[in-house]
Amino acid sequence: MANRSPYPDTDDGHARRSADRPPGTPRWVKAFGIVAVVLVLLLVAMLLTGHGPGRHMDGQAHVTGDAERS
Amino acid sequence: MTLSPRLRKFVLTVHVASSVGWLGAVACSLVLAAIGLVGEDARLVRAAYLAMGAIGGGVLVPLALASLATGLVQGLGTEWGLFRHYWVLIKLMINVFATVVLLLYTQTLGRLAHLAADPKVGLAELRDPSPALHATGALLLLVVATILSVYKPRGVTPHGWRKQREGRRKRRVGRSDLGHAE
Repeated sequence: MANRSPYPDTDDGHARRSADRPPGTPRWVKAFGIVAVVLVLLLVAMLLTGHGPGRHMDGQAHVTGDAERS
Repeated sequence: MTLSPRLRKFVLTVHVASSVGWLGAVACSLVLAAIGLVGEDARLVRAAYLAMGAIGGGVLVPLALASLATGLVQGLGTEWGLFRHYWVLIKLMINVFATVVLLLYTQTLGRLAHLAADPKVGLAELRDPSPALHATGALLLLVVATILSVYKPRGVTPHGWRKQREGRRKRRVGRSDLGHAE
């Protein structure tokens, strides 16, 4: 019989469920969420400690008359 | 709105090409950022920052916007939707986040390129770890988005589950109407 899945990029049309309640959140999504929260907290901590965007450009890099050090 | 199969394939092709192109351009930017950070040759270091500035506005931004736009069309124009499947939703969040950060950071890349073009600015002042950090973060995010696109892990959101139920109900009603007509 032909595949009648509404999801043309998969073979199985994987999200078919017959229960009356919405399915629970998959484990991989929960793991993703935990990693995302940790990263957001890290970003917030960096912003609060002055390591956020614009830190490097505040002084527009000091223009010196020194010869290039290479 | 549902895309015709031909249009869907076309939009999908542009989406894959722009997304993978974006990933490749970020990988190039990471190499240039590393040269800018630890390169010994002063001309090469300056050239790396100049190239990063050009790639930022000329390649990364157009590819990111194309990836986001075609992803939105693809989601809205097919049964996948934007908020029905967790993998689509997470990919959308990654895409929006990476594009916003890129648009903000392009200004920084432009300023670094401007400084690199100024011979009065010493190399020590020019060297900056932030392009390498941003490129590494972007690379990780885009690799995750690529993995999600290919593997399409299972999991529908409550919204997606309701939409699926509605769709099934409509199909059932349509079939029974057809049966009565015969």
